[in-house]
Amino acid sequence: MKILIKNANLVNKDNINKADLLIQDDKIFKIGINISENADKVIEAKDKYVYPGFIDSHTHLRTPGREDEEDLLSGSQAAVKGGFTKIFCMPNTNPAIDNDGLATWIIEESRRIGLLDIYPVGAITQKREGKKLTEFNALKKSGCLCFSDDGSSVKDPLMLRKALEYAKMTDSLIIEHCEDNRISNKGAMRECFISSKHGISAIPDIAESLIVDRDIQIAKYLDTKIHLTHISTAKSIEIIRRAKSEGVKVTCETCPHYFALTVDDVVSSNFNSNFKVNPPLGDKNDLEAIKKALKEGVIDCISTDHAPHSQSEKELPFEYAPFGFIGLELAFSLINTYLVKKGTLNLKGIAEKLAFNPAKILGLTNCGEIKEGYPANLVVVDVDKKWTVAEEDIISKSKNTPFIGKELEGVIEFTIYKGKIVYKK
Amino acid sequence: MKEWQKKHILGIKDLNKEELETVFTLANSFKEISERDVKKVPALRGKTIINLFFENSTRTRTSFELAAKRLSADVVNFSSSNSSLTKGETIIDTIKTLEAYHPNIMIVRLNASACLQSFINYTQASIINAGDGRNEHPTQALLDMFTVKEAKGSLENLNVLIVGDIGNSRVARSNIFGFQRYASKITVCGPPTFIPYEFNEMGVSVSYNLDDVIGQADVIIMLRIQSERQDDLFLPSLREYTDKFSLTPERLKKVKKDCLIMHPGPVNWDVEISSAIKNKIHPLILKQAENGLAVRMAVLYLIGTKKREI
Repeated sequence: MKILIKNANLVNKDNINKADLLIQDDKIFKIGINISENADKVIEAKDKYVYPGFIDSHTHLRTPGREDEEDLLSGSQAAVKGGFTKIFCMPNTNPAIDNDGLATWIIEESRRIGLLDIYPVGAITQKREGKKLTEFNALKKSGCLCFSDDGSSVKDPLMLRKALEYAKMTDSLIIEHCEDNRISNKGAMRECFISSKHGISAIPDIAESLIVDRDIQIAKYLDTKIHLTHISTAKSIEIIRRAKSEGVKVTCETCPHYFALTVDDVVSSNFNSNFKVNPPLGDKNDLEAIKKALKEGVIDCISTDHAPHSQSEKELPFEYAPFGFIGLELAFSLINTYLVKKGTLNLKGIAEKLAFNPAKILGLTNCGEIKEGYPANLVVVDVDKKWTVAEEDIISKSKNTPFIGKELEGVIEFTIYKGKIVYKK
Repeated sequence: MKEWQKKHILGIKDLNKEELETVFTLANSFKEISERDVKKVPALRGKTIINLFFENSTRTRTSFELAAKRLSADVVNFSSSNSSLTKGETIIDTIKTLEAYHPNIMIVRLNASACLQSFINYTQASIINAGDGRNEHPTQALLDMFTVKEAKGSLENLNVLIVGDIGNSRVARSNIFGFQRYASKITVCGPPTFIPYEFNEMGVSVSYNLDDVIGQADVIIMLRIQSERQDDLFLPSLREYTDKFSLTPERLKKVKKDCLIMHPGPVNWDVEISSAIKNKIHPLILKQAENGLAVRMAVLYLIGTKKREI
């Protein structure tokens, strides 16, 4: 099977190369000018951009436990529609992904589905209870590259220390959800004048940065790497910036909603539960700090924190509704609309934040770049086409997103995984 | 009197001064009805009102129920535990179900802040907020203000002091929005753990010392200490609270002679207010309850005589 992509703009993190690209079987076989080869399929990509397959380091697939909200198939379909060819699914499932049996099952199921690679993130502690480490070695052998108790931080600093130390043995990455949930005090939105005015229980921004600071200190003390997920506040960014300048092996990511929305959008939605997310949406200062940090490389990647919830859950009053938005299908367009079109990142920046950096940080090889010999995981995009987010177009089983009705720029036209077209607009 | 425009009453923050005055004028005339032997007028005959309470309440619910009955409306009570807000049938399902009976008004109380706005699309009925979490309790503020207006003749330029658990209090928030329409100077007073973050941005002064501020007040609203909402973290003991913030005979000596001391009830005597001064304080609190009925009749009348939009 041969696919020839003609006249494409091939985007890597450092350059955009106008060329043809030939896929043979599951590999990028050749990149060059005017490749004349009899291909089974030719994609004319003039004025289009071709990216390395996107990588999402933070997805919730709700499997096992809430397959009514998302399952491996619907999550895979949503992901390839969004241009992702590798996603990392978080272990806050029921039961938690804390054993190699479950991790193996997820990987085998994803291979059977065959749309993209799903990498389960193993729980750091058994049942995510924060009490006893999981079997990192067994989980690693089954295919877990990283570990997280996402949904909460590892509360006990001694347990986090042990996890960071133990992870050295398997060269695994620890991914921390940074939140001191004692000071979050069951809050539903960012603490600010608005939360006080409306009497809504609220989370102060320091709930995140307290743990960011603690985690960085522990990682620095042990000289280990650590990855901080869904960073949302200016205060956290300041701490991370300083740590990076001191050589601490800390990496981090943010999510599109933190540079697209603020707490003001929560108010103008009349406290619609579809605007409730954790960490909560911040203020303009946070939003600007995140954009600046993305530009300067303090924030390494962008993940979706794709968090499907059923309609009945999101129908609950704002204070009682669960946290989270779906994001796989929108991430690229949100980044393009809110960062590239507004000048924070250029088109190469998308390749860096959604492919190259995640690959490097998460320990993936032979991906994250468009290179001869690499597996043919590619995305063809139209960066200028406008579209409006509509509930009926969402593939994910859950439709909870604050972006319904929003006009965005940038459309995924093809997603190619191991040389097969797995999504076509 | 200008024609009433609002379909719902979700909070005092949505009402302007003119609308507040309309309520007070009407409440004044409804007071007289309750003093008659036959306490019923046919104003809302044939209208259906549902008291939809997801949180325990006897006083507010009774007051609304009586108000509805005195206006000849058909009123039914639908009470449900708070747990039904978090699982199974959602409150939106409940509202849709009740909508099938085509009510004119739903009076809603629940333990979640600021979510009523999201319900209005699911019913043709008007929604009246009878207390939503820590957000607002508009009819309580209306009756408080009405009581002050009745006693003082005017609501303009008063020093209003609100004492207690401000953060958890929907009564405080509604009163703040209401009294601010009359250029009142509002002070909230309580331990710092009871004062919400950046609360001075509400345009109020904050005090942690009742003795400092009690002497300037024209109106004092003593809030109920809601022990069911207290986490140990926020208050070491009732003894400590009482020492600093209870209205005692000694503190009563410091208040202005014409100062009005109110309480939304029920009073925890010897916590918010010393029972030694019950005889002096209680009559106005009972007057608030009486006025509550008149104010709720006024609100139901204004909302209920609007045509049900089809």
